[in-house]
Amino acid sequence: MVTTLTKPARTGHGPTRAAWFVVAVVVLVGAAGLSVVVGANPMSPGTVLGTILGGGTDESRYLVWDQRIPRTAAGLVVGAALGVAGALIQAFTRNPLADPGILGVNAGAAFFVAVGITFFGVTSPYGYVWLACAGALVLTVGVYTIGSAGGDHAGPVRLTVTGVAIGAVFAGLTTGLTLTHPDSFDRMRGWSAGTLLERGFDVVLPVLPLVLLGLTLALVAAPGLNSIALGSDVARSQGVDVRRTRLAVLAAVTLLAGGATAVAGPLVFVGLVVPHLVRWTVGSDQRWIVVGSLLLGPALVLLSDVLGRILVLPSEMPVGIVTAFVGAPVLIILARRRSASAL
Amino acid sequence: MRLLPASSPTRRLLVAFVLPAAVVFAATGCTVAGATSPDASAGPSATDASTHLVEHARGETEVPNDVQRVVVLEPVQLDTTVALGVIPVGAAVLNEAAGVPAYLGEDAAGIATVGTVPEPSVEKIAALKPDLILGTESRHSALYGQLSTIAPTVFMATQTDPWTDNVALVARALGDEAGADQLLADYTDRCAEIADTYDVAGMTAQFVRPRDGILTLYGPTSFAGSTLECAGFTIPERDWEESISVDISPERVLEAQADLVLVSATDVTDETLVPESIRSNAAAFPGLNVVDQSFWITGVGPLGGMTVLDDIDRILAETK
Repeated sequence: MVTTLTKPARTGHGPTRAAWFVVAVVVLVGAAGLSVVVGANPMSPGTVLGTILGGGTDESRYLVWDQRIPRTAAGLVVGAALGVAGALIQAFTRNPLADPGILGVNAGAAFFVAVGITFFGVTSPYGYVWLACAGALVLTVGVYTIGSAGGDHAGPVRLTVTGVAIGAVFAGLTTGLTLTHPDSFDRMRGWSAGTLLERGFDVVLPVLPLVLLGLTLALVAAPGLNSIALGSDVARSQGVDVRRTRLAVLAAVTLLAGGATAVAGPLVFVGLVVPHLVRWTVGSDQRWIVVGSLLLGPALVLLSDVLGRILVLPSEMPVGIVTAFVGAPVLIILARRRSASAL
Repeated sequence: MRLLPASSPTRRLLVAFVLPAAVVFAATGCTVAGATSPDASAGPSATDASTHLVEHARGETEVPNDVQRVVVLEPVQLDTTVALGVIPVGAAVLNEAAGVPAYLGEDAAGIATVGTVPEPSVEKIAALKPDLILGTESRHSALYGQLSTIAPTVFMATQTDPWTDNVALVARALGDEAGADQLLADYTDRCAEIADTYDVAGMTAQFVRPRDGILTLYGPTSFAGSTLECAGFTIPERDWEESISVDISPERVLEAQADLVLVSATDVTDETLVPESIRSNAAAFPGLNVVDQSFWITGVGPLGGMTVLDDIDRILAETK
């Protein structure tokens, strides 16, 4: 089978890799725990535990069940989706600077949300979800159609260029729309920073099937990506259906990035940095990069969100601003390493 | 209703895409206007009986006593000029789609808009041939030179100063200080009337503006806060960080509790605009009222103040 033929370049990862995944799981569980215990309204861990076990006051029940647990769930879904989408798009385009937004997902989602806010009076995060999903899907399908026009199937370079171009056009339209409608600008401001505030289960659950489908596609397509990394011809000779793998990857990226953006708005840097961190530590096997990103993505989002809750008390900083602050230095460190992580 | 005014979606779509183009034209037009205007800043500078000297944030300016065509660039200036019976010929507005706020009444409905408050259009202002322009140093500082070639221009320092001070400056520019004193006296009387009628003394009130989950609490120095205190309410004590308002996390929503809690919305009939944090704690907010932000937040001035007081009167009458 394919998997046996496409062993990662570096071997002998066995015990190290197992240890890495144990650490990643511990970090993720720790991040989720912090996300339930730490908040802008301090509460002792004992009170939190008591509340989860059925006790607590009205206020502690509100804090735990209405605020922290739903937003922790949202952070898990968004982080997992963005991490995996980032891993896929970097492998697909063989571009270490690619992030899920490169196919126009964020631009499409933002434009649809802006139109919904401006012309149809949509005001709730629940309303944004469907607009953002629709925008992400429509724009990626558009990018794929244009990128694959002219006979040849959609290659990564064409798709990237088309995605960046169309994304820029729609970002411009969104800016034009919000600058001329200050009310929309006000509402979009929160959304476009990326936030987990008031993203309850009513927002997360409708998106969950899309994200799960995207994750499944990602796990199915990851082995094929290993072969494609060696070139289309090699992949074909190894029995990989290049076209089908690419379609699966694109569909997965759209579902994952679209779903994440629908919940939280465009969170920058998560999809870019997480796969780098994973590649740096577990090597270049796409299967492990996907699984690693699935663990580290939510850990990064949750830790950033926890930071955002305590940085500007008594207010909160949107998680998207924190991920930018946390992500940029990490990326610089990675870029300054002597050997860039192989793709 | 306020969210989606009469204009059709297509028209607004058109506006959204045509306006940026218009801005470009305006920007290029500006330089031409600046270059061709004769003797800059001279205007009607001859000190005679037909003008009066106004001291303001950018120095001193001679203003005609009988101004007919005023352009205002700040909501408090729009409100005050309308209240004093001088309907401006042009006004910068917060939201071009919504235009001049409805609470200002029919007389104000026909005022031409000259761009937005942060970005007024010098071209449109010049086209109105004003004889007085009112602006704000903290917002329109860079435009002062251009504006003063068009007409005598008076700037207030900032929009965060106590609003009654800004009302007084507008009155001095219009040469109608007595009128402004009367307006402010009427406002204070109306406050006292409400405080007496409903026995407000000892009651607390908190005005809250929800924004993307975050709650903005308005303090005693804000327009809404000062009007509530004028009507006899006390705003619950907290550290206002020397600002007119403080943002709090939804986790701290209980800090917004008061005998009377007012939540602003663009559409008071849309219950989904009440933030989830307050809806989840309904028991802690028995005295909750949704109010119209078009005058509670942006209606700074004597007319807006009276409208807010009317709203407080209505709410107290309903709850009694």
